[in-house]
Amino acid sequence: MNELRDLARRLLGDGTVKAVVGYEEGPRGVRPVFVTRPEDADQLIFDPRAVQNLVTFLNPRRPHVKRLGKLAVVVKACDARAAAGLLRESQLRRDEVVLIGVRCGGVVQSPEGPATLNEETVAPRCGTCAQRVPTLADHVVGPELPAPPVQSSEDEMMARLDGRPHAERWDFWMAELERCVRCNACREVCPLCFCERCVQDKSEPQWIESSPHVRGNLAWHLTRALHLAGRCSTCGECTRACPAGIPLNLLNRQAARTVAARFGYVVGDDPGVAAPVGTFRQDDAEEFIR
Amino acid sequence: MSFEPKITAFVCNWCTYTGADLAGTSRLQMASNVRIIRLPCTGRIDPLFLLKAFERGADGIIVSGCHPADCHYNAGNYHARRRFAIFRELLDFVGLDPARITFSWVSASEGNKWREVVNDTVERVRALGPFTAYRELTPPAAGLGGVR
Amino acid sequence: MSTTAPITKANLANLVARLVAGGARVVAPVRKTDGLRYREVTDGAEIVLEPRGLPDMSLKAVVFPPTEPLTSYERKGRDVALTAPPLIFQPTVVLGSRPCDAAGLEILDRVMNWDLRDELWFGRRRATTIVSLACAGPADRSCFCTAVGLAPDATRGSDALLVPVNGGFVLEAVTDAGEALVKGNHDLFGVPAQADAEVRQQARQAVAANLSLDPPAVQAWLSAHFEDPLWDPIALRCHGCGACASVCPTCHCFDVVDEPEDLAHGTRRRNWDTCQAAKFTLHASGHNPRADQNVRFRQRVMHKFEIYPERFGQVLCTGCGRCSRTCPGGQDLPEILAAIQARVGGAA
Repeated sequence: MNELRDLARRLLGDGTVKAVVGYEEGPRGVRPVFVTRPEDADQLIFDPRAVQNLVTFLNPRRPHVKRLGKLAVVVKACDARAAAGLLRESQLRRDEVVLIGVRCGGVVQSPEGPATLNEETVAPRCGTCAQRVPTLADHVVGPELPAPPVQSSEDEMMARLDGRPHAERWDFWMAELERCVRCNACREVCPLCFCERCVQDKSEPQWIESSPHVRGNLAWHLTRALHLAGRCSTCGECTRACPAGIPLNLLNRQAARTVAARFGYVVGDDPGVAAPVGTFRQDDAEEFIR
Repeated sequence: MSFEPKITAFVCNWCTYTGADLAGTSRLQMASNVRIIRLPCTGRIDPLFLLKAFERGADGIIVSGCHPADCHYNAGNYHARRRFAIFRELLDFVGLDPARITFSWVSASEGNKWREVVNDTVERVRALGPFTAYRELTPPAAGLGGVR
Repeated sequence: MSTTAPITKANLANLVARLVAGGARVVAPVRKTDGLRYREVTDGAEIVLEPRGLPDMSLKAVVFPPTEPLTSYERKGRDVALTAPPLIFQPTVVLGSRPCDAAGLEILDRVMNWDLRDELWFGRRRATTIVSLACAGPADRSCFCTAVGLAPDATRGSDALLVPVNGGFVLEAVTDAGEALVKGNHDLFGVPAQADAEVRQQARQAVAANLSLDPPAVQAWLSAHFEDPLWDPIALRCHGCGACASVCPTCHCFDVVDEPEDLAHGTRRRNWDTCQAAKFTLHASGHNPRADQNVRFRQRVMHKFEIYPERFGQVLCTGCGRCSRTCPGGQDLPEILAAIQARVGGAA
């Protein structure tokens, strides 16, 4: 932690950045903080409750954040994958941000804690993560940490759904999507949902009904998952943000599954690697096409 | 009287539409359940079109275009291939039977193939029955609030 | 003198069965895989009535659904026929809502009867009987109902209040509808009794420890300090996601859309909306008077603690704490209110 704080103090003190976006202790647990003065650097912490994906603050649709100036952002490996996405898609220039990589041994499901990391408490996203430290980083801080405990309630949910006939899966998803009130928290917390005008908001014609009934909700969530395919780092923030408790990340995991199996692509933190959607191979599998 | 499925077909102008036209001028007999929507290229087919078709009452869908390497716009069908590979499995995951959707490459000279695609799709969707599951997604009736 | 009568948990379940058999919709807190929520129930055994804690979303969906048809239209040649939905509302009994949620509905009655009387809102309100469950104390540090003029055992907006006692509850009727519920089911209730006043006072004190507030002073400060830089650092972590508005008992802004079913038919609906969305104030010209999150976030707090009080004499907040619990960015309303109170100066 001291390493992080010292680095922040230095970056702010010599004017390299105007703010350091990191984690602090808030009233209800760990939450994002924008440290703008070197003397406030001691507010920065990092522990297994540092769940939030801070790269979302680099989303270009946040003018009040952009106005601060050049930022340094604390990133775990999963967060760095989202940053790579923004760089790959020209939403950010590499020299516009300082990425402070932090070594991570997994996070818990809720930033409210407790901070004890075990099979019960570990976040589902950590189960598929083999990267302890981001490669996309200007600095790396923090002690070496072991791999996270293996658990994935998401894997279990997916396996359970895979084993069910279509009608049951349909009933499951319609019951979940019925609760969606289209608050758009899933979209707003996502670092990679940066469209100036989201397809959902397009009228004339309105392809995706904006009303929170099941029919409109289904079109919205299928489309969002499709638009994130091959880009989403499955960080799970959408599921965490959803006030209706819908396991949205499962849809993203499904799209990621297809992309990995068919195109051999897993979202990584190298912005130089081209995304799978928008590219193709002549020999892409087409067994589903007659 | 057996159920007559409604099939919406999204086809590319240069290959499949022309192939379907050839089937017609060749007087090939085939099921008449298909409503064709012509697009410049399969690469133009947004998966949202498919969802809209189901919302508006389609029981099944055909998506068809040029064979790989034959796309009039060079690569549209390659992009469509990737896009629909993902979308199809996403639909399967949420419980929408992919058997309701046929994907095919039908060239301008393949009138016979078009007939087979149409007839096979109609019979397959007939066996699956009307897509009531999607139609039952209509919003709640007036007067009763939904409690979430 | 209003009726107070004990009822056991078992008899509450019997009451549910009787209400359902009589054609009423019963809504109560239920716990499933998605957490504690207000849901329609048919089996009284499903109902969760705990000393503390509240469902993740508020009660407002019972009278103000997330989406609601306003009128349907049909094109006949050059004419358009409009059909309003029938103003028929299924009788509903809410069992076990929290006092903050019930109070929220009454607070909203003001705006729903302001420039236009909202017949859909009041139709459902009239058809709904609310039996709230008093809290034994705050759910957690984010509850602050006492700071906004309410209490864990407040009766505002409720037709009756269930107060937990040994062996069950004591039901206190508040309105005529509450009285009627007891009288109509008198065989399920015991001999009139009083709940422990000491316990209720302790509950109020426990909540009051979370936050002290002088709402009129906060209102005055907000009014006089519109351009205060207080909002800038706070708004940085706001994602503009609107989760807060969706869970809030008193947020009520809505959008109106026309949805075609086909070329000839369609429905005009109203849908929940949020002032936190960038699109909320976006004009067709492209101009947006609230162009970034600083001013949008300020707006939310101002609406609740300055504008609504100025217009209707009510704080548009019941202190339920849900916004703080659900916010993915870690915003904390008690923290923000305490910061304003500190600027006001003096003890609240």
